Amino acid sequence: MASRETNPNFMNGVPELLILKLLQQEEMYGYEIVQAIRSRTGDEIAIGEGVVYPVLHGLERDGALKSKRKTVNGRSRIYYSVTRAGSRRLADISKSWTNLTATIQKMLTGGRHAKVIV
Amino acid sequence: MPKLLFKNELRERLLRAGVAPRHVQRYLNELADHLADLKAEEERAGCNPADAEAAALTRLGSMDDLVEAMLKQRQFLAWSVRAPWAMFGCAPLCALAAAYFVACLILWSGWRIFLPGTDTPFVPTDGFSIFYFGIGRLLYFGAPILVGWGITLIAARQRLKAVWPTVGLVLVAFLGGSAQVHASRTGVPGGLGHIRMDFALWPSIQGNLFHALAILSLTVLPYLIWRFQKAYSISG
Repeated sequence: MASRETNPNFMNGVPELLILKLLQQEEMYGYEIVQAIRSRTGDEIAIGEGVVYPVLHGLERDGALKSKRKTVNGRSRIYYSVTRAGSRRLADISKSWTNLTATIQKMLTGGRHAKVIV
Repeated sequence: MPKLLFKNELRERLLRAGVAPRHVQRYLNELADHLADLKAEEERAGCNPADAEAAALTRLGSMDDLVEAMLKQRQFLAWSVRAPWAMFGCAPLCALAAAYFVACLILWSGWRIFLPGTDTPFVPTDGFSIFYFGIGRLLYFGAPILVGWGITLIAARQRLKAVWPTVGLVLVAFLGGSAQVHASRTGVPGGLGHIRMDFALWPSIQGNLFHALAILSLTVLPYLIWRFQKAYSISG
């Protein structure tokens, strides 16, 4: 039997949420962002590190992030930080994500649908 | 896979998938910086340079993942992929129209300034007027070729299939070959000169077709050279 793929939409928005959350605290460049995600999620979220850049560029294009080039220790890096629009977007995504996880948690711990099945 | 090969293959795949070249370049630049950081981290952990580079490439992500991540961001697709009809149909028409307008304006103003008494501006001139009218003539004859080269440049940079660029080039060649400028005085004595443009292959069908073919050949040639060079470098 062919293996069935998980619904990718379910994970959509997660990298965006994590990136906005991290950058709300301080500005970072790509490598720092990935290392921060790894360390703060205890390596639970493992992604190809390069895939973070299209998300960053997309957020920047949407006006949620802004970038500036800085030279640190002789190396030129692009630092990203959150804009006001990005903060609002973070609040919206956080709210949606919190509602979703609360709903799933409710189901897992014996919500209405769970009782019907049992 | 060595770093350079990886970078080149990623660039080719993104361009062929329709991502705009400037977004591809920015992505590659940041990936190169990230790769350097990963390699340094692996070396600090005790790896030799070759192993460190291999480990860094693995951590960066597979080629498929890196391409897919960029393609998910639909806003980074080039306009030539999102709206080829606009890029190779409308934009060349607008560019040609603008160039022809300026050329006609130069002809009309030169006629008023240097040849106020003549019934037509198409007469032998001398002095500075040669230079003045020359600019207009250069623009008139050069615009289709420049616009065509613009199309071939976009097609080559973005690794486009030949269909839409060909449509654009044929359109430009047809317009360039069939363009005709007419000049006449109004009936009022001392009246303003009147400049008008037509696009028709007749009455001189052979001459206009030859002109159109010449434009097409001149504009296609650089693209063909680039394609042959590319094919040669790949097979080599």
